[in-house]
Amino acid sequence: MAALSEEVLLVVKRVRQRKQDGTLYLMAERIAWGPEGKDRFTVSHLYADIRCQKISPDGKAKIQLQLVLHTGESTNLHFSNESTALKDRDAAKDLLQQLLPKFKKRANKELEEKNRMLQEDPVLFQLYKDLVVCQVISAEEFWANRLSINNVDHSLSNNKQEVGISAAFLADIRPQTDGCNGLRYNLTSDIIESIFRTYPAVKQKYGENVPHNMTEKEFWTRFFQSHYFHRDRINTGLQDIFSECAKQDEKGLKSMVFQGVKNPMVDLLSLEDKSLDEGYGSNSTAPSTSNTNKTVKENSNSAIIKRFNHHSTMVLAAGSGKKASSLVVFTAEPCANLAVCLHRDAPNGQACETSSTDGNSRDSDFFQPPIKKVKIQDVIEYEDLHRENGKKTVALNLKKSDRWCGCSWTPYFGTSVMSSSTASCAIAALSPGGVLMQALAQQAINQMVPNDVQGELKHLYTAAGELLRHFWSCFPVNTLFLEEKVVKMRSNLERFQMTKLRPFQEKVQRQYLSTNLTGHLEDMFQMAYNKFHAWQTRRMMRKT
Amino acid sequence: MKLNIEGLLVYFPYDYIYPEQYSYMLELKRTLDAKGHGVLEMPSGTGKTISLLSLIVAYQREYPLEVTKLIYCSRTVPEIEKVVEELRKLMEFYSKETGEKNNILALALSSRKNLCVHPEVSSLRFGKEVDGKCHSLTASYIRAQRHSNPSLPSCRFYEEFDAMGKQVPLPAGVYNLDDLKEFGRRKGWCPYYLARYSILHANIIVYSYHYLLDPKIADLVSKELSKKSVVVFDEAHNIDNVCIDSMSVNITRRTLDRSQANVETLQNTILKIKETDAAKLKEEYRRLVEGLKEANVARETDIYMSNPVLPDEILQEAVPGSIRTAEHFVGFMKRFLEYLKARLRIHHVVQESAPQFLKDIFEKVCIDRKPLRFCAERLRSLLRTLEIADIADFSAITLISNFATLVSTYSKGFTIIIEPFEDRTPTIANPVLHFSCMDPSIAIKPVFERFQSVIITSGTLSPLDIYPRILDFRPVTVASFTMTLARTCLCPLVVGRGNDQVAMTSKFETREDFAVIRNYGNLLLEMSAIVPDGIVAFFTSYTYMENIVASWYEQGILENVQRNKLIFIETPDAAETSMALEKYQEACENGRGAILLSVARGKVSEGIDFVHHFGRAVIMFGVPYVYTQSRILKARLEYLRDQFQIRENDFLTFDAMRHAAQCVGRAIRGKTDYGLMIFADKRYARADKRGKLPRWIQEHLTDGSLNLTIDETVQLSKHFLRQMAQPFRQEDQLGLSLLTLEQLQSEDMLQKIAQIAHQA
Repeated sequence: MAALSEEVLLVVKRVRQRKQDGTLYLMAERIAWGPEGKDRFTVSHLYADIRCQKISPDGKAKIQLQLVLHTGESTNLHFSNESTALKDRDAAKDLLQQLLPKFKKRANKELEEKNRMLQEDPVLFQLYKDLVVCQVISAEEFWANRLSINNVDHSLSNNKQEVGISAAFLADIRPQTDGCNGLRYNLTSDIIESIFRTYPAVKQKYGENVPHNMTEKEFWTRFFQSHYFHRDRINTGLQDIFSECAKQDEKGLKSMVFQGVKNPMVDLLSLEDKSLDEGYGSNSTAPSTSNTNKTVKENSNSAIIKRFNHHSTMVLAAGSGKKASSLVVFTAEPCANLAVCLHRDAPNGQACETSSTDGNSRDSDFFQPPIKKVKIQDVIEYEDLHRENGKKTVALNLKKSDRWCGCSWTPYFGTSVMSSSTASCAIAALSPGGVLMQALAQQAINQMVPNDVQGELKHLYTAAGELLRHFWSCFPVNTLFLEEKVVKMRSNLERFQMTKLRPFQEKVQRQYLSTNLTGHLEDMFQMAYNKFHAWQTRRMMRKT
Repeated sequence: MKLNIEGLLVYFPYDYIYPEQYSYMLELKRTLDAKGHGVLEMPSGTGKTISLLSLIVAYQREYPLEVTKLIYCSRTVPEIEKVVEELRKLMEFYSKETGEKNNILALALSSRKNLCVHPEVSSLRFGKEVDGKCHSLTASYIRAQRHSNPSLPSCRFYEEFDAMGKQVPLPAGVYNLDDLKEFGRRKGWCPYYLARYSILHANIIVYSYHYLLDPKIADLVSKELSKKSVVVFDEAHNIDNVCIDSMSVNITRRTLDRSQANVETLQNTILKIKETDAAKLKEEYRRLVEGLKEANVARETDIYMSNPVLPDEILQEAVPGSIRTAEHFVGFMKRFLEYLKARLRIHHVVQESAPQFLKDIFEKVCIDRKPLRFCAERLRSLLRTLEIADIADFSAITLISNFATLVSTYSKGFTIIIEPFEDRTPTIANPVLHFSCMDPSIAIKPVFERFQSVIITSGTLSPLDIYPRILDFRPVTVASFTMTLARTCLCPLVVGRGNDQVAMTSKFETREDFAVIRNYGNLLLEMSAIVPDGIVAFFTSYTYMENIVASWYEQGILENVQRNKLIFIETPDAAETSMALEKYQEACENGRGAILLSVARGKVSEGIDFVHHFGRAVIMFGVPYVYTQSRILKARLEYLRDQFQIRENDFLTFDAMRHAAQCVGRAIRGKTDYGLMIFADKRYARADKRGKLPRWIQEHLTDGSLNLTIDETVQLSKHFLRQMAQPFRQEDQLGLSLLTLEQLQSEDMLQKIAQIAHQA
């Protein structure tokens, strides 16, 4: 029995299928059912084929589990062991619940991947249409040696790119009333991930408390109940575990504010040159310094505003990593080299600082002017008032240019080199119109043949090339599988020649007399047939 | 290119020119020729600054005896630096074209905070601290003390500058703030004092308004500038408020308490000095008798104690006898303080004029007008005599003495309002005495009188005739320039209704209306879905924004907006807002897109530009009227009506519309830029509001874009954005909104250009 070599995860006895008693097996990759007393499975589904499972409602007499396949078929399993039916069913259900998503993802991923490749690559898509849709070769054959290559590099790039966070992820947790004075929050793993990435403090709390102090469910319940989640509430009680998070956020925000901004053009603090001294001025709405006369509502309003700023900042930071701030510098193109050198200096700022003779304590001073200059230059530049003189290029900045041009360097080729005049003669002869190029007649092929025919020819070439590639990849034929394949490929080639190439040839002949557009294609096919023939005769000889 | 502006050779450092720039230079040249003042409105992003600089520098070179100096006043530090960089570009172009090194000295001047290179002092965070610390190291009497006691700390940069810096003038060139610092570091000279000294012989000075408009500073910094200067006020749409602010004083109970402490310190110091060094006080007395106060006042480092009134109002006589001795003066101040305290102990609002106040003070505590006028001067002298190092501690008593001098100097144009509590919180006593200036022309008058040409320019000065009226001067040119466009890159829309046909307005009666708030929310939501990158939204006031944000949050609108873009919100805290701004730009930069909720009249609306993708749409929620219930405003409106025949409503609408225009204009910063301007209030459709928008916005506000619903707005916006997203090349502009020298010289183009300037 083949199943024995597989890992069996769960065995449930007395499960009826089509009124027949039997045993249900849940294996690593498939679910199977065999009737009692027989040692083979009459039902066997790969998990990947299963779309979903359904269970009968709790109150029902029959305790059933239904498997719905992607094809639309379904299989009903009836748990008939009276005493433990429910338990059995739930055990099977829970296990399936864990297993199915894994396989589902894989199946979907493959499909998605194929879809993506076809969409991204129009040539491939055309090929697919020519070969698979016209049933020259099967889809599996088509994908057989494509997916594997692509899978590798795709997964590589997958690692590199992190998915950003939706700013509204908290809004996606729509609370729903469950009818009896309660709220249900739908939490997916994506949302949890987003919460953790945006609010590291919550992640830390989670790590501290789950699972030693409370269950995961309890943790999230508390999270949603907390004032922390409801941004308009300000008085965070002490017993709330998230009050600390709020404080931490506050601290983070403060430190960020204290650090100030790097772009001097948006620094509102240094905008005013000379602010009026205290007591001067006529602004009637002088900010009341005491918070006491602010109402609770006003306080909560400003708390909301603060939270929004914080939230957006965190989302942005989580999405862009830490590089974002230094990247901004590079957007100023006109002084790119300046920005670049600034960027290079930044990590080893110490050296820069100590070299200055005058111990200016504001270390930012040394970095600020370049950024400022770039920004100001950027702002005062009227690009349309300048005559366009091509792309602005960054000048090559060689530190010690004498090293590059000072020493005399003469190339040495040895003796077997022809003179430059001979070489240019040869090039001239090989160029179109040269002595050696006159024999070629198709110099005007792109003028004589209309575009649509050219396009069609191109498709034919790619399709034929693909088929031939399959064909030639079978050699040397050393396994049974390859043997089968090579035979199949030959018939594929023939079919292609019949269904595609011939009609094209006829069409061309109808329209144009002389030019033999498909000659080369036919040569290629002939070459393949010859090879096949040679291989076949050799095999026959060996057999006889 | 080299231009011929009515016979004047102007070097213009670009290959092409906008037609309006040419037109602007023409008008400017005529103003300078007439030696008169001008009001010029030209949209931002059309190269106003470079046009100004090119023409005035050319004028200066051509007629060096007619115009000796250009004083360029701007509002913010980044603006100042931008101007200097543009100037540098121009100068580089000059030396490239003419082949000779130009001998023009141009420099920027800013406060100590931006110029100090002293390692300890410059590390302080706030401007006031820097000033105070600098003063404690460089004040004249401190330096005198150091002669006897060399161990006292000093600023070596200032000492070096004082010893060497004045012998050789600063070499010709263009000095931005950082260049000055760099130069100062290299030479070991104090850049701040170097700059202040050098502005006397510089050809071009770039600094902020305050150095010319605030009498407390202007007296010290700009006193000796030549009369043959051209003064430019750039971004001048708010100049009246700057004038008013510089002359107004607010006194709270806290000020009085601190003054009380100041007076006691003074008294103790006087007693102490009397025991040890009575001669010093006698010397001071003698000086005051002889009226020699001016003789050694001109110590440049004693900046803190300057007179708050305008130079022509300062009395040239000796300090009156009643406050001549130190004790008498302290006693006098005590009496004055007690009187003010008594005035603040009231339970109802009092409003009176300066003469009424003076009459009352004479009746109650027998304080005469004359000694009051000398208060500021007398305190200055006393503080110097007592050799008080940390002047910053005495800001309260300085404020009181300034108030005394102001109130006794000006009988017109000011009002005194004493409010026992804030309007919002009538139960909490917080008495404030507002001494507020209502007439901006008082502060700016000496500028107009002294300098031969004053140019007031900005992107938004409409309606043009109001500025000459409220600033009380007679301009020779008043012109508004439009933006010539090869494609209509701005799209003003007036949204008046929601999809439910409920009118959208921030009118006081309906602003709390649920439907209005919801419609505003829907507008933001819809726009967030269709506008790429950045959206900036402005509210009429901070409290209004807070309320709306809170109810949007409750209604779940913000959550939906968040699906499209990140949300950042301006807060009253400048540091927090700066960070939000930076993050906002970051979000626009990396393609996420963001919304900035901000406040008209706030710092963001006044000083931050949202070029290109940083602002593809500006939404103005409501009409940004000032808080009309304020008594100060009411007094000012009354004054404007009585003195200048400007009706209250006209002024209020003018003020609201200039701020609205400022807000929406933030998004368009040039011809290659584009942006939506959404006015979300049905009142914008009315002729009296529309007519007060700058011409370059009004032109594109057709009847078809008035009183739209949200859906219609979305449709129009989509269409506009799609059109604008097409590639826009230089060739598209050439000949229309961008000219080569040849095109400029053609006859019909010159005719077209003549139409650009719209004379008011």
